[in-house]
Amino acid sequence: MTAFALPRFVAPLLRHSLILILIALLVFFSIQAPAFTAPTNLLTILESSAVLLIVALAMTLIIASGGIDLSVGVAIDFGAVFALIALKDFGAPWYVAIFAALAGAALVGAFNALLIVGLGIRPFLATLGTFFIGSSIQRIYTDGGGPIAFRRMEQGFRDLAAGNIAGIPMEIVIAAVVLVGYYLLLERTNFGQRVHAIGLQPRAARVAGIRVGRHVAVVFILAAASCALGGVILAATLRQFTPLAGQSYLLDAIAATFIGASIHPRLRPNVPGTLLGVLFLGVVANGLNLLGLDFNLKSALSGLILVGALALAGLRGRAG
Amino acid sequence: MSLAISAPSSRAWLAGLVSHAALIVLTLLLAYLALRAPNFLDAQNLTAILRQSAPLAILACGLSVVVIGGGDDVVSGGIDLSLPAAAVLGAGIISYQLSVAGSGLGTALLFGLPAVLAVGAANSLLVVGIGLTPLLATLATSVAVSGLTKLITSNRRINVSNRAIDWVRDGDIGGIPASMLLALLVFAGLAFLVHRTRWGAHLQAIGASRAVASLTGLPTRKSVALSYGLAAAAAAVAAIAILARGSGSSPGSEEPLLLEMVLATFLGGAFSRRRIVTVWGALLGAVLVTALSTGFALLQVNIFWVSGIKGGLILLVLVAAALDERLRR
Amino acid sequence: MPLPLAAASLAPGLTLAMTGIVKTFPGVRALDAADLDIRAGEIHGLVGENGAGKSTIIKILGGVYARDAGDILANGEVLAGGAAADMHAIGIRIIHQELNLVDHFTVAESVFLGQERTDRFGGLAKRRMRREAEAFLRDVLECPLDGQTLIRDLGIAERKLVQIAAALIDGKARLVVFDEPTAPLAAAETGRLFNAIRNLKARGVSILYVSHYLGEIVDICDRVTVFRNGRHVAVLDAPNPTRTDEIITWMIGRQLDDLYPAAAVRTADGIEAEPSFAVERLGDGRSFADVSFSLAKGEIFGIAGLIGSGRDELVDGLYGLRPPATGRVTRAGRPIRLDPALAVQSGLVLVPRDRRRDGLVLDLAVTDNINLASLDEVSTAGFRRERRANARATRLADLLDIRPRSVGTRAGLLSGGNQQKVVLGRWLAAEAEIFLLDEPTIGVDIGARAEIYRLVRELADGGATVIVSSGDAAELIGLCDRIAVLVRGKLVEIVRCGEISVDGLIARTTDAAGQRVAS
Repeated sequence: MTAFALPRFVAPLLRHSLILILIALLVFFSIQAPAFTAPTNLLTILESSAVLLIVALAMTLIIASGGIDLSVGVAIDFGAVFALIALKDFGAPWYVAIFAALAGAALVGAFNALLIVGLGIRPFLATLGTFFIGSSIQRIYTDGGGPIAFRRMEQGFRDLAAGNIAGIPMEIVIAAVVLVGYYLLLERTNFGQRVHAIGLQPRAARVAGIRVGRHVAVVFILAAASCALGGVILAATLRQFTPLAGQSYLLDAIAATFIGASIHPRLRPNVPGTLLGVLFLGVVANGLNLLGLDFNLKSALSGLILVGALALAGLRGRAG
Repeated sequence: MSLAISAPSSRAWLAGLVSHAALIVLTLLLAYLALRAPNFLDAQNLTAILRQSAPLAILACGLSVVVIGGGDDVVSGGIDLSLPAAAVLGAGIISYQLSVAGSGLGTALLFGLPAVLAVGAANSLLVVGIGLTPLLATLATSVAVSGLTKLITSNRRINVSNRAIDWVRDGDIGGIPASMLLALLVFAGLAFLVHRTRWGAHLQAIGASRAVASLTGLPTRKSVALSYGLAAAAAAVAAIAILARGSGSSPGSEEPLLLEMVLATFLGGAFSRRRIVTVWGALLGAVLVTALSTGFALLQVNIFWVSGIKGGLILLVLVAAALDERLRR
Repeated sequence: MPLPLAAASLAPGLTLAMTGIVKTFPGVRALDAADLDIRAGEIHGLVGENGAGKSTIIKILGGVYARDAGDILANGEVLAGGAAADMHAIGIRIIHQELNLVDHFTVAESVFLGQERTDRFGGLAKRRMRREAEAFLRDVLECPLDGQTLIRDLGIAERKLVQIAAALIDGKARLVVFDEPTAPLAAAETGRLFNAIRNLKARGVSILYVSHYLGEIVDICDRVTVFRNGRHVAVLDAPNPTRTDEIITWMIGRQLDDLYPAAAVRTADGIEAEPSFAVERLGDGRSFADVSFSLAKGEIFGIAGLIGSGRDELVDGLYGLRPPATGRVTRAGRPIRLDPALAVQSGLVLVPRDRRRDGLVLDLAVTDNINLASLDEVSTAGFRRERRANARATRLADLLDIRPRSVGTRAGLLSGGNQQKVVLGRWLAAEAEIFLLDEPTIGVDIGARAEIYRLVRELADGGATVIVSSGDAAELIGLCDRIAVLVRGKLVEIVRCGEISVDGLIARTTDAAGQRVAS
C-alpha cells in the first residue's frame, strides 16, 4: 500500500523528531514550571518511571520476538501477591519473597507459552485470555478486588521501595539493573541475536536451525518473571497488594516500546529506545503535573501526545 | 495416480468434534443455566438479557466489520480497540449537553455523534494513511479518547433524565425492547453492507487475502478506511444505548466493554459455517455472552468467577480453531 | 451492463499477432524482438526454458508490464495501449499459475469476485450468481459443482476450474492464456482440465497454453512456438509425440560451456557400499510418494523435476520443514528425526530456494547471518564476541569472495549471488557435512554461478555430500554425479550423468512420452 508522498527534507526531521520533541518539552516545562528542573523533581521522574521501565523492557523483549503480551499486568500482580503471601503467611525473608514473586509471575508466562507455542494460538488473543483468567483469579482471591494490606512488613522488603543505595532510591537501582540486564540479553548475547532473527523472519530463523518455539517460550516466561520485580516494588511501596494494579502499565509499556522503535534506524524494538520512550512518557506526566493542570485535562493531553508521538513514529517508518 | 490418502473415519469424527467444540461447550453451559438457574428462561429475564446486551451487541457488530476488512490476525489484521472508548465519549458528551449545559436532545446529539465519528476518522488516518498497525493505533486513540471523556465529564457520573432516552431504556415496540431494536437496526445495516453488497464482498476478499484482492483489482485502501468509519458509526449508536442503559454516563464504563466486545466478536466466528468473523455472529456472540453473565448471576455464582469463565471460553474457541486448522492439513 | 447467460455464449476467438516485442529490465533483455502469433480458435503452445521470456510475454499480455517496443495486432488492428484494462477490454484473460482464490468463499462468490451481479436495490443477486456460476461450470467446463460449496472443500483441479470460470464468466473472453495450469494437479485431474480447454476451443475461443510439460503440449496444442533467450526460434505446426525431440533441440540450442567444473574424482561405484545418507520410501501423503535413494560421501546428487513434480516438497521434507508422513531417512545406517534444528546439529543443512524469505534475515548484517547457526563458537558463555564473530565472517567472506567485503552490510542490500554465498558461508561456518541446495542459482548472475558451481564441487571433493534440487537440466547435468528424476511425485529413475544428455533429461522430466496422461 502506498500512501501520500513526503517531501525529502522531512525524513531526517522525522528520524529525530522524537528527540526534538522531548527537548522541546523539557525546555517548555522548565520555563513554565521552574520546579521542573529541581534535582529532586528529576529524581522523582526517574522514581515514578521505574516500574514502567521494567514492564516496558519485558514488552520490548516480547515485541522483538514478534509477539505481544496483554497479560503483563497479571504478571505484575502475581509477582506482588506471591511476594506478599510469602512474607505474610510464611514469614519468609525478603529475598525468598522476591524468589516467590519471580516464580509466581513465571507461571503466568509459562501459561502464555503453553497457549502460544504448545497450542498455536496467536499471542494477542492468547494473552488476552490469560488476562481474563488472571483477573478473575485475583478477584476471587481478594473476594472482589479489595486490597490486601500488610503494614508490619519486614524492613528488608520495605527497603526495596523505601531504601536507597548511596542516596539513589532503591527502585531506580532495581530498574537500572533490569535495564542493564535486558540490554545485555537483547543486544549482546546469542539468545538476543536469535530472538531478533525470530522476530524479523521466523521462517529464516527456523531454516538456520534455531528452535523457534523454545525461544518464544523462554521469552514469554522471562518477560513475565521480570515483570514480577515491578510487582515487588509496587507491593513494597504501598505495603499492600492491590488487585489489577498492573493493568495500568500495559498500554504505556507498549507505547514506550514503539516510541523507542521509532528511533532505531530500522525501526526495531531496542533497549535504549525503550528507555527513551519511558522517559518521554515520564516527562510528559510529570511536567503536566507541575503545570498545575486539572487531572482530567492532564489525562486528555497525555493521551493526545501519545497519539501524536505514535503518528510521528509511523510517519518516520513511511519516510524510511 | 493419486497420492491423496483417505483419513481414517475416527479422525473425521474427532475433527467434527473439535471444530464444534466451542459451540458444544456453550450449548452445554446455557442448557445448564436453563435447568439450574431459577427463572433463566422467564420472558422477563430473557427481555432483560436483550436489554442488557444492546451496547455490547452494537459494538461487536461494528468491530466485526473492521475485522472482516482487515483480516482476523489480531496483531497485523483489523481490530478497533477504541470503539468502547469512543461510544463512552459520545455518551459523555450527550449527557453533559443534556444535564450540565441544558441543551435539548437534538443539540446534544449534534455534538455527541460527530465526535464519535471523528474517532473513526482518526483511526482511518492512522491505519490507512500513516500505516500504523491497527492494534497500536486504536489502542492509542482509545487512551486519548478516554482522556477527552474525563476532561468533558470532569471524570464524574452525569445523570440524565430525558424522555426519549428513558424510552430507549424501558420502552418496546411489539415486545422487543427499544435498545435491542437499536442494536438490530445497526446489525441490519452492517449485515446488509457487508454480506449483501458488492462493497461487502470486496471487503471480505480484502480481509481474507490482500494478494487475491489486489490481483483482482479491488480498491483495498478505501474499503479498509471505510470499515473504520462504519465501526465508528456503530459506536455512535452504541453511545445512545450506553446512555440509556445507565441513565447517564459514568467514567470508566468502557473498560469492561472492551474485552467483552473482542470476546463476542471472535466467539461469533465459531458459529459461522466458514469459521470466520461475521456480523450476525458478533450479534449472537454478544447476546450469548450477556446471557452467560446473567445466568451466573441468577445462580449466585461468585461474580468474580465470571470473567475467568469468559477467558476460558475465548481460549477454548481459539484452541479449537487452531486444532481444527491442524486437522485439516 | 449486458448480462448474457454466459454458459451458452462466448465471444468468437481473437487473432493476435505480436511482432518484435522488446522488454528490458536493468541488466537483462527479457524479450529481444520476440514474435508470437495466435489464430482464432486454436490452442497454441508456448514452450521454452526458464528465462526464455515466457513469463515476460504473459505479463505483457496481461498488461502487467508495458512493452518497450514492438506491435500488437488484435484481429488485424493495431493495439495502441497495453495497460491491464486495454488487454482486458479486447478479451484477453490470464489464468495465473497461482490459485488466487479465498479459501472460505463459496464457488459462486469466487467466480464473481470483482464482477458481482446486483439486483435493483444494489444488493447482491446471490441466487442469480449461483445459478450462472453453476451453469457455466457445468456447460462450458464440464464440472458440475454446487455454487455454495466452499473453496477449501474443493480439490485442486476443481479450484483451477473455478479460477478459469472467474476469468471467463463475463462471456467476453476471446483469448485465454493458461500459465502452467496442470502444475499442481495429479495425473487423473489433468484430464478434466483438458476437457474444459478443448471445450473452450470448440466454442471458438483462442488459447495460449504455456507449459513445461511437453507431453501435454504435443497432446493438446494445434501449433507450438518455442522461445529461447527472449526470442521465438521456431513455430511448429501439428505437433505430435514424435516431434518432442525436435522441440527440445530448439529449446536448448546451445552447447554446455565450461561453466561447470570437472570433478576431481567422479564417484561411480561403491556408493551403495557405504551410504552416508539414505532415504527410504519417503512420502508426504500428497505431493510425493515412495521416494528412495542413497548417497555416498563426496557425491553430488541431483533432483530433477518440473513445477508440481513434488521436488520442492521433497526438499522441505528432507529438512523437516514439512515432516513427511511415511518412510524414513538414515545417516550412516541410523534413522534420524527430521527437524531443522536437529538437522543442523547433525550437519545436514539447507540452502533454500527462496533465499530472501527463508535463507537470510535481511535486516541483519552479513556477519550476523553467517554466524547465525553457530553462534556458540564465536561467543563466551553465551555472550557475543564481536571481534571473533567479525573475524570469522570476514575470513569466510574472503574465501567466498562476498562483495561488498564489509561484513557489517545488511544482507538485504546484497545482490542475489552474494546473498547465496552468505547462506553457504553460514553452513561452512557450521561445518556442515550434507548440503541440500534448493535451486542454488535462481536469480544469480552468470559470474557468481560459476563460482557457486566451483564451490559445490570443492565441497564434494572435500568429502561432503551435496544434494542439488533444480529445474535447470543443464545445471544438473553439468554439476551432478547422479540425477533422480521426479515426475508427478514419483521417482521414475536415477540416471548417471555421463550417460544422459540435456535433451534426454528434459525429455524425462517433461514427460515427453506422455506416460502420465496415458496412465
